[in-house]
Amino acid sequence: MASRPSPVVEEILKTVKQRVKWSGYDKQAVEKAVSKFVAAIDVVRLHYLENCVGCAACAPACPYYYVDEHYSPVNKAEYSRGVYRKKLTFAGRILGPLVGAWIPKNEKDLDRVVELVYRCTNCGHCYYACPFGIDSGSLVQGLLKIIATYSGRAPTIIDVFAELEYREAYLEIEGLMMPWNMVLKKAEEAIGKSLPLDKKGAEVLLLPWLTDAMFYPGGVIGAIKAFEAAGLDYTLPSRPWAVRPPIGVVVGRMELAKATLERIVRRAEELGVKRVVLLDGGFPYPWMRWEMPKLLGRRPNFQVVHFVEIALELVKQGRLPIEPDDTPVTWHDPCQLGRRGGVTEEPYELLRRVARNFRPLKHRGVHSICCGGGGGIGCMNPEMIAEMAKLMGLEPDALYDGEKEKKFIEETTKAWSIAVKRKIDEIRESGAKIVVTACPVCIHSISGGAKLYNLPVDVKHIAEYIGERVKLKR
Amino acid sequence: MGLSEALYNFAVYQFFWIALALFAFGVVYRIGRMFALWKRPVKAPRRARGGGYLVKTFIETFLDPIIFSLKKKPHDFTFGLLLLHLFGVLPIIFLMGEHVIVWSYYFPPYWLVAKWGLWIPESMISGTLTVTTPVPPVGEMSYKFVSNIWGPLNIILNGDVLAILALIGVGGKIGMKLLEAAKREKNVRLGDIIDYTLLLGILLAGYLAARFRGDVIIYRELLALHVLFAELLLAWLPFSKYWHFVFGYWYGKIHEWWDTRYQRGA
Ligand code: SF4
Ligand code: SF4
Repeated sequence: MASRPSPVVEEILKTVKQRVKWSGYDKQAVEKAVSKFVAAIDVVRLHYLENCVGCAACAPACPYYYVDEHYSPVNKAEYSRGVYRKKLTFAGRILGPLVGAWIPKNEKDLDRVVELVYRCTNCGHCYYACPFGIDSGSLVQGLLKIIATYSGRAPTIIDVFAELEYREAYLEIEGLMMPWNMVLKKAEEAIGKSLPLDKKGAEVLLLPWLTDAMFYPGGVIGAIKAFEAAGLDYTLPSRPWAVRPPIGVVVGRMELAKATLERIVRRAEELGVKRVVLLDGGFPYPWMRWEMPKLLGRRPNFQVVHFVEIALELVKQGRLPIEPDDTPVTWHDPCQLGRRGGVTEEPYELLRRVARNFRPLKHRGVHSICCGGGGGIGCMNPEMIAEMAKLMGLEPDALYDGEKEKKFIEETTKAWSIAVKRKIDEIRESGAKIVVTACPVCIHSISGGAKLYNLPVDVKHIAEYIGERVKLKR
Repeated sequence: MGLSEALYNFAVYQFFWIALALFAFGVVYRIGRMFALWKRPVKAPRRARGGGYLVKTFIETFLDPIIFSLKKKPHDFTFGLLLLHLFGVLPIIFLMGEHVIVWSYYFPPYWLVAKWGLWIPESMISGTLTVTTPVPPVGEMSYKFVSNIWGPLNIILNGDVLAILALIGVGGKIGMKLLEAAKREKNVRLGDIIDYTLLLGILLAGYLAARFRGDVIIYRELLALHVLFAELLLAWLPFSKYWHFVFGYWYGKIHEWWDTRYQRGA
């Protein structure tokens, strides 16, 4: 039985329950969603919308195509094209469905939209596989998701976290802050001194999110150990600046995402750091590094890098003393760090230097197979929802908008369990005993998949792997 | 003037300009829409990658989808890319003797293709552009001989064989589309019917005209149909998937490389 939720949780839940509606069809809400959809079309998305020839060459790239062929990238993106045709083309307005023009007209249509949206991880593999450079993920995640969310079909759990992050309300929830406080304490024990918290003018800001502390405390500690061993002038925040920013984008709420990013940038600039180092190689990386200047309309005064980039630099400079490892180890490219973020070379160079038995996977870099957990799918499973509810002092049912959403979450979990299999098979083939990666969702998804398909591997964050082998001078 | 001659004159001398005007309008419309939506974004500084890496990834950007398709969808690769594009439509349009002469008529520097011997004959057993080929004689003789550098490759590189390969390619693509339609896949569109019908029409009329050895009136009608279909496709091109050939493919791939490889460094 969960303890009583704090007033702030109750307040957020109330806000979310007002906008999340898994049944019915609200015409006004759909119209508003369609206007937002239209406003989100830029020149690049226009190319994605207009230049698809329908060859379906992208289909085998998609992890969810192996769940159902109707989840191929083009099949999903066609729903975005339908709305585009209906609103912005002459043929679509005049000929309607004859030329594939469409907007959701009833409850069933909205259910279909949300189903397709959460059968896409935004992995970007279809972008590279398409002979015409069409990023179907962008049409599903960047456009169709707007229709789903603003028509009411948003996963309650993600919307709650988007709101928690936006208001920084997680700081007031003891259950959520526990892992953070614990990790700082353990890190201090590991380095034998107090942490350089909130230090102005440091060279580097190690910026862990709340989820880093929750999903891989060892990764946070490992990074701190590595920075200490290298003698870096670094700092880290005493409190998490975000849950996993900008989590608003996972439900297509750009206004929340923008406000969160603005706040983070302002704080980092106030500290006067030159570089911000992220541990999370999931969507926060491309958003902090590539999308943030576009969204805020300005470049920040610091550079954003991932831990793997700075660790490689330090190893190359001979500043990071590491005990080489003989365990068979492989690297899984998080789609957001690799394909979307461009960090495709560094992890391999780093692991070749520190792991004597490094076994790269058959598909790697931009060709890597997605673990199937991104785009919000990773936290859309009953176990995770129950766990998060407990931390917030809620009953699990409070994080569902009724039976319909619950059923949808269960179906999503089933779909994920099929989508993850290709990744697990490939890891098995490599013979690795340790999988290192850099994203909480990948860690969760691969660990879960390995358990499901009986693969005995240890899945950990690269910073944890490095931290375990770093020689720390006391 | 008989119907056959009227049709021929309309196709060759009149409709061409209408089709060209529609094509130009379409180009302006589509590019104009892109400009209308263009905004200069504030970009993050690009990831530093060496020149060699950028060249390698530029080639990969074009090559990777081809390799991916060969591995994952061999039937699509065979019918779509090999038969329809590489060994079908593309060499016929740009290298077949009769077409080289047409292109050179509108764009004289194109004659270099013939000069360098890159053009290909209509038939594997004769390099002659026959008297029934209604193109103005380029030399002093009443016919022109396609003399090229392809040697024994002419067995494959000739209009007859390539047209058959292209027809198989289009047929295969139509078959695949029908299968997809039966499975209610969303990537089957009304435009596909128009696109493939036009292409099939051009190929069949052209092939029949080229193989025709009878009454010159029927020949001229077939040729007029071939030209008319081609002009319809020209007019339709900016509004259809064929736009990929003129713009979509090049823009898409170059943008993808610039976005993923040049900016982000993947
Ligand atoms: S997105 Fe690209 S690969 Fe997929 S169907 Fe469209 S053109 Fe083909
Ligand atoms: S981004 Fe990934 S998951 Fe989404 S449609 Fe493309 S291949 Fe599928």
